[in-house]
Amino acid sequence: MYKNIEKVLIANRGVPAVRIMHTCRDRKIKTVAVYSTPDRLAQHVVMADTAYHIGSALPSESYLNFDNIISAALQAKADAVHPGWGFLSENDRFADRVIDAGLVWIGPPPEAIRAMGDKIQAKKIAVRCNVPVIPGISNVTTEAEIRKWMEEDAVDFPIMIKASASGGGKGMLKAENNAQIPAALAQVRSEAAKFFGDDTVLVEKYIERGRHIEVQIIADFHGQVTHLCERECTIQRRNQKIIEEAPSPSLDEELRRELCSAAVRLMQEIGYVSAGTVEFLFDSSKRKFYFLEVNTRLQVEHGITELITGLDIVGIMIDVAAGKPLPFKQSDIRPNRWALEVRLNAEDPRTFNPSFGVISRLYSPQGPAVRISPGLYEGADIPPYYDSLIMLIMATGADREDAIRVMDRAISKDLRIEGVKTLAPLLLSIIRHPKFIAGEFSTRFIEEHLDELVSKFIEKDSEDEMLKVARYVAEISALGTPKWI
Amino acid sequence: MKNYIFVQPGLTPAEIVRRVRSLKGVCLSTTSLRDAGQSDYKNRLRIYDLKTLAPCYNQMGLFSAECHGGARWHVGLMNRKESPFEELEILRSLMPDVLLKTLIRETSLWGYRPYPPNVIKYVVSQVDIDIWRCFSFLNDIRNMRMAAETVMSRGKLFEPAICFTQADWATDDYYLKLVKDIVAMCGGTDEIILDIKDMAGVGSPRRIGSLVDAIKQQYPDLVIQYHRHTTDGLALPALLAAAQAGAKILDVEEDSLARFYGQPPILAVHAYLEEFGIPVHLNRKEAEAAVQKVRTWIRHYEWAESPFKGFDHHVVYHRMPGGAFPSSFEQAENGDFLHLMPEILTLMSYYNKIIRYFDVTPGSQITWVTCSSIVNKYMKEGGKSGVKHLLALMARFVEDKRQDFSSMEKEEQEELYQLFRSASGDFKNLILGGYGRLPMGWPDDWVYVSAFGEEWEDKIKERSELSPLDSLADESMEKQKRTLAVSIGREPSEEEFILYLMHPKDALQFIQFRDMYGEAPLVLPTDVWLEGLRKPGGKVDFEFNGKPCTIELLSVGGEHDGYIHVVMSVNNKTRVYKVSTPRAKQVEIRMAKGPLEIGAPINGNLWRIGNPKRGMLKVGDIVHQGEEIASIEAMKMENAVTAPFDAQIEEICVKLNGIVQEGQTLFVLRQDDQTETQSPGSSTVIDTPWPG
Repeated sequence: MYKNIEKVLIANRGVPAVRIMHTCRDRKIKTVAVYSTPDRLAQHVVMADTAYHIGSALPSESYLNFDNIISAALQAKADAVHPGWGFLSENDRFADRVIDAGLVWIGPPPEAIRAMGDKIQAKKIAVRCNVPVIPGISNVTTEAEIRKWMEEDAVDFPIMIKASASGGGKGMLKAENNAQIPAALAQVRSEAAKFFGDDTVLVEKYIERGRHIEVQIIADFHGQVTHLCERECTIQRRNQKIIEEAPSPSLDEELRRELCSAAVRLMQEIGYVSAGTVEFLFDSSKRKFYFLEVNTRLQVEHGITELITGLDIVGIMIDVAAGKPLPFKQSDIRPNRWALEVRLNAEDPRTFNPSFGVISRLYSPQGPAVRISPGLYEGADIPPYYDSLIMLIMATGADREDAIRVMDRAISKDLRIEGVKTLAPLLLSIIRHPKFIAGEFSTRFIEEHLDELVSKFIEKDSEDEMLKVARYVAEISALGTPKWI
Repeated sequence: MKNYIFVQPGLTPAEIVRRVRSLKGVCLSTTSLRDAGQSDYKNRLRIYDLKTLAPCYNQMGLFSAECHGGARWHVGLMNRKESPFEELEILRSLMPDVLLKTLIRETSLWGYRPYPPNVIKYVVSQVDIDIWRCFSFLNDIRNMRMAAETVMSRGKLFEPAICFTQADWATDDYYLKLVKDIVAMCGGTDEIILDIKDMAGVGSPRRIGSLVDAIKQQYPDLVIQYHRHTTDGLALPALLAAAQAGAKILDVEEDSLARFYGQPPILAVHAYLEEFGIPVHLNRKEAEAAVQKVRTWIRHYEWAESPFKGFDHHVVYHRMPGGAFPSSFEQAENGDFLHLMPEILTLMSYYNKIIRYFDVTPGSQITWVTCSSIVNKYMKEGGKSGVKHLLALMARFVEDKRQDFSSMEKEEQEELYQLFRSASGDFKNLILGGYGRLPMGWPDDWVYVSAFGEEWEDKIKERSELSPLDSLADESMEKQKRTLAVSIGREPSEEEFILYLMHPKDALQFIQFRDMYGEAPLVLPTDVWLEGLRKPGGKVDFEFNGKPCTIELLSVGGEHDGYIHVVMSVNNKTRVYKVSTPRAKQVEIRMAKGPLEIGAPINGNLWRIGNPKRGMLKVGDIVHQGEEIASIEAMKMENAVTAPFDAQIEEICVKLNGIVQEGQTLFVLRQDDQTETQSPGSSTVIDTPWPG
């Protein structure tokens, strides 16, 4: 007997909430949105069938508020809760609460989240499954412990200080020398406590010029664990991915097989169910990969895997949560195209400082081979309290070159956003950079090339220019002849 | 159909000169694109309208079109928001067969200060102009050297101008000496055209005839152009006299554009000269078409016309140049002293006998500012009778006593000693030789006493006879370019940089305006440019980047909290514009300035003041260099704010858990001996960079 899922509460906002609602709409599943005070008219609220206010602006009062979210789900008579990504998506205690409330949790079992949420535990399991790991120590509270470990294990700088429960690039800092350790440690602990509710910290050797490659896993309650191939997420700024692609241009067939089967092995070991990702750091000069962590949730960049495989991962998550077996075997998974994704963040493309305000004009890219995953609409207000992601733009092609060409058109010709600053100019400069086109890059690509990337900004468009003329007409019509004329 | 084109861009200067020489009779140069608008319409004629004349000009058989330079340049930036480079590009494409001409001030080009040789060379090399008409308001030919060299070495036509005035000292010999210097500087008469610049319109027909004749006697091959304003009402006979004496090129404008201070009307000049047997090279049909064209748009500019209407034969005394008329009257109107104009003009007629130079930019500005402020000062202190007293004093000194200072009464001398006491820096710079030597020698000593008081003798010792070209050191253009890049937040184009070199403040405002409103100044019809769409349903169609556009006004809302919402249909899409009025409430956000005010590094939520170790900080606490004093969180990232040096907290300007803006003041610190003694090692404070 499968569980009945006819109404889903999405415990999220913005791009992930909208993404999940699209699949629900495909399946005629009713949706329940939750929102904080400043999100009263946000896109996910507009899109949902019903919506519940769950608290004030601060995430801890609303999108991280277990009680309010669960009571909204019960009040709405929802059957299930999908956490999206970020917020409570990797919170095992919240998953427990959802299940205890008699609701279906659309995600991995709380035990799996727990096992992988603890980075130290996760590394131990990886070692057990014969998956290589990066040298490091766990449960760090003082600088002295870090110094001792570095001395004993002969580790040199740089090192990475991470919240045990870190994710999404948040809650981690690099230290280049002894002097940077105290401040970095203090900040990571503070962020860890605030955003993940757990201030346990681990420290690892930092692999320089590494590449970030991950494997998408999907598993059911019937013991089947399948991978949907890998994604390359090497282009990052401040440890946050901003461009992802599938497949990875760094791997050959043999390494790809090795990587994917390592991921499957690990997930089988922990009895994983639902969608999840095993992340690896790839040292391209030595052709070696190291286990980084498991993301026990739907990932931002899942869309490109959907594009190359033709599957709907969110849809499969819902079916798996209902108890259905995966409708395919590993051998059925045959990717047949290239897909590229950019994260359009509302940030200053030079400084990465967040930008918020009202979106006064918005045109989404359109046309062949483009997929848009939006988080807001023209006229919407971006509040300063949450993640800066406002839209995902994906492009596909028969090969990488094709996909890059489509992406170039999508960003430079089709996309128009006014009212806030976005990363668009930077993203465009990156995909036009010869090193990116050649596939030669590391996680430090942006910091190494920032000056050059920034200098290529600026694209003029005839409609943008025409709207400037219209703005003049509007002002003069309202205010009369200006004095300076 | 007869082809009237006899000179074109691309010809060598020698070839152009040869073709003009071999022409029977005279040819014409139009000033409608520049000086006509400057003299009668405060330079407000927009390229949007002027360009409609270009197709006619392209077939009219003109010698050239003066379309660039003078004050049109500066007013373009300030008031029309047009760049002279855009104008050139538009005109080039619409009239490719016409020689384009600019007017430059010898060392200050299109700006107001003298530039060093490297800047002159750089700027002149960047501008796509065929003929460079160049004048010195001091008639100091030395000052033209750099411009002449650069123009001629680039194969462009150099047209040196001699500034003309009618005065006892302005004799044929005086002018012939200038022409001699010009011919020597330019290596003969085969590659230049000599311009007689009668910028005030004061040359009587006989005087002009005799001057042209005197020059032609000495230099029979020299091609002469006569540029004249109509201010005194005698332009037509003066042009005839010039042509009869051998001038080959005459400046004209459309009859329908002509008012009182610009150039004479083209069709009238054509008819009048031909009646006297002088052939005029002109496609009259096209000239008539251009005259009609002007009528389709000139009514939009009535507001820009001078409030002082009618010819003014008094110009032979006060000598205000036609090009300065509208702007002077505009300033008088804005400064609320329009009623004092007759007195100011009278004072100018005395002034130009005391300090002798030519009333043309920048000299005309100096004359105007000096005289208008003296009259205003007397008005303020003594009312109408005070001004009357001033003019009586000047009449007595200049006319009765022939400027013999010693023959004036003691108290009159004392009063004259005060005359220039509050004169502008430009005036003082002028009499010290900052612009070069004055054409008729330095003013008398009492002028220096008047301007400088007790220091007058030292100042006279400083006075220089050198040309600014020899006294000014080269300037680093790289440095200025970087300053501009920082101000506008991006790399400037070459053209923007030149605008900035000439008019730094106004160029910046212009660039910001254009970044905001794009090509509005170029594409909007003049009524919409001036007044917008006046009522709902009002519509404007225009072409933009080769595509049709329509903007329709749907509604203008009432004012609410200082904002008006304007709803427009822009290419069929409804758009709402929030327009702030002068009453819009400015949310006062205090931005950090100077080393003692600590600004927020990013936008975000100020969630901690202080640090975990010390807890919350309060006013009076001592903080140490590098210590975290606040933390701002934005999009799940914490950003520490640290103390840039050891200091005491004097003020905490924000509330905990409040949203702060990048640059907003968070703390004001205090640093004094006390904090320094408490925290040794803070001696590097001054070198420490601070945020913002």
